[in-house]
Amino acid sequence: MTGDATDDRRTSGGGPATDGGGVSNATAPASLQTDDTAGLAAGDTLRATAANTARVAVREYRIAVRRRWALGVAVLFALFSIALVVLGGSDVGPSRVPAVLASFAQLGVYLVPLAALALGFDTIVGADESGSLEMLLALPLSSSAVVVGKYVGRAVALAGGMLAGFAVGGALLVRFAGFGVLGAYAGVVLAAVAAALAFLGLSLLASTLASEKTHALGAALGTWVWFVLVHDLAALGLVATFDLPSWVISVAVLANPADLFRVFVLRGVSTTAGGIAGVITSSALTTPVLLAALAAWIALPVAAAALAFRRRSV
Amino acid sequence: MSELEIRNVEKRYGTVTALDGVSFDVERGETVGLIGRNGAGKTTLFKMLVGHATPDAGTVSIAGLSPDAGTALRERVGYLPERAGFPPSFTGREVLDFHARVRGVPADKRDHQVARVLQTVGLADAADRRVGGYSNGMNRRLGLATTLVGDPDVLLLDEPTAALDPAGVADFHEIVEALSRETDVTIVVTSHVLSEIERLCDSVVILDEGGVEVAGDVTELRRRAGDTVSVVATVDGDAAAVAREVSDFAGVTTATAEPPRVRIECDRTAVFDVLADLRDATDVLDVEVTEPGLDAVFRTTVGGGDSR
Repeated sequence: MTGDATDDRRTSGGGPATDGGGVSNATAPASLQTDDTAGLAAGDTLRATAANTARVAVREYRIAVRRRWALGVAVLFALFSIALVVLGGSDVGPSRVPAVLASFAQLGVYLVPLAALALGFDTIVGADESGSLEMLLALPLSSSAVVVGKYVGRAVALAGGMLAGFAVGGALLVRFAGFGVLGAYAGVVLAAVAAALAFLGLSLLASTLASEKTHALGAALGTWVWFVLVHDLAALGLVATFDLPSWVISVAVLANPADLFRVFVLRGVSTTAGGIAGVITSSALTTPVLLAALAAWIALPVAAAALAFRRRSV
Repeated sequence: MSELEIRNVEKRYGTVTALDGVSFDVERGETVGLIGRNGAGKTTLFKMLVGHATPDAGTVSIAGLSPDAGTALRERVGYLPERAGFPPSFTGREVLDFHARVRGVPADKRDHQVARVLQTVGLADAADRRVGGYSNGMNRRLGLATTLVGDPDVLLLDEPTAALDPAGVADFHEIVEALSRETDVTIVVTSHVLSEIERLCDSVVILDEGGVEVAGDVTELRRRAGDTVSVVATVDGDAAAVAREVSDFAGVTTATAEPPRVRIECDRTAVFDVLADLRDATDVLDVEVTEPGLDAVFRTTVGGGDSR
């Protein structure tokens, strides 16, 4: 080993930024790289990132299942769906099905975000506090593979639990109302899962930005209060007070994944919703726009979390 | 080309200078200790060596790669952070299997490689137990196993024995010594326990306030730290009288009685003569000779602090 006395054979220089962006002194000569080889290298990198993301996702899914999170979600949504089917229509038959499905939207809008936020708030900050995040970062994994992989793993556990739970209520509904109800019920369930994935993404973002688990929990609760309780009241208050045009309602719906879920479900059932639900359901948004908005609410928070993660000090 | 080449590296976080012109090399197969007070820049340097930070100025080369090589760099480097945690519901074998997959160990060799590494760190019998039930020492050994499973060129161990009991420390030292002796992996260890660095490392780099204060061979640095050797002898007789007699021996600086022992400070070159004269003067029941350690080097260069 030699120390300070070593001669200075290198100087600082710029280089292609990957994880950190800084000094490069080990890159292949640029003149040897053709477009084809560069394309192949980019393809290999993408494949490697996808494979590593899948590995992290499988690991995270196994953690979630072994912690009984998926089971807990399944039990929660089984009880929820059974309660709505049994109590929502004491004499459930084809004529009562729309009312039961509308109940899923009206009450699910409270439960679905809560379950997703509870499952996701410690995704990053919890791993950081336990030391397992630093072990992941010691591996040849990109930061996006870690963040997206963790999200996908928990998303599969959450979605699987919800689908299993809703399946119990669905079986009961079929028993009462026949197989003809399955299509509408599946639409409700898939919309609920999509909304849950959106809120899971928001909790992932909160978890990435928070420095302590308690902060992430507070942010997750704040997110729930805003999107479930305050947002609609604030939007409708503004519209009513300032006589704003109806497109403002559409914007308000697009700005809230809980509303997207509610509108998507209520549009599909022939029942009359009153109050806030009635107002937002009357917005001019088409189904493709609602679906695109839900997809954006899933993708954007995860992308933002991946970006924020690069700035996080572990 | 050295395995690690660090040249005039500077790193600042706002107004704080973490590294200020750090330069040193580490050869392949060498075991190097990186010591310094808290905030000396050790963690920042380790972050660069695993590709999580890049220098503001200067260059860093690890196994021929720069810090911005990112994942490619971490394929070559095994890093055991000070705070290493694992999913408590996973078994040790499952943890290693995941690390082996990410590190690209071929499927047909993965099980064998995991079993081999478990054997190396002494966890073969606990491989299928949940990590949540592991002791601190077992967790650290599992952490070391995760760094070894991909056959790295460079091993970075950040305070590997912190919070371990003496038996755990001894076990860990034996594993690192075996790695150092039997493989050509380059090992960089940080520790506040200077006796650990003395035991494990061929050479040492002392960082202080973002710069290299001293770097070199451990034995040579200890020798340079002082020419006085301490001799503590347990004597069968009047320790005070023996101390008075010994103080007149050639090469003896001081001799003090701590009944039943006599503590003698003498020149390194005179130590054998002093021991012979001591045996002539009285019956010696046992004797302990202590050369200046890294703590003396550290005190001289950094002036005390929190390393011990």
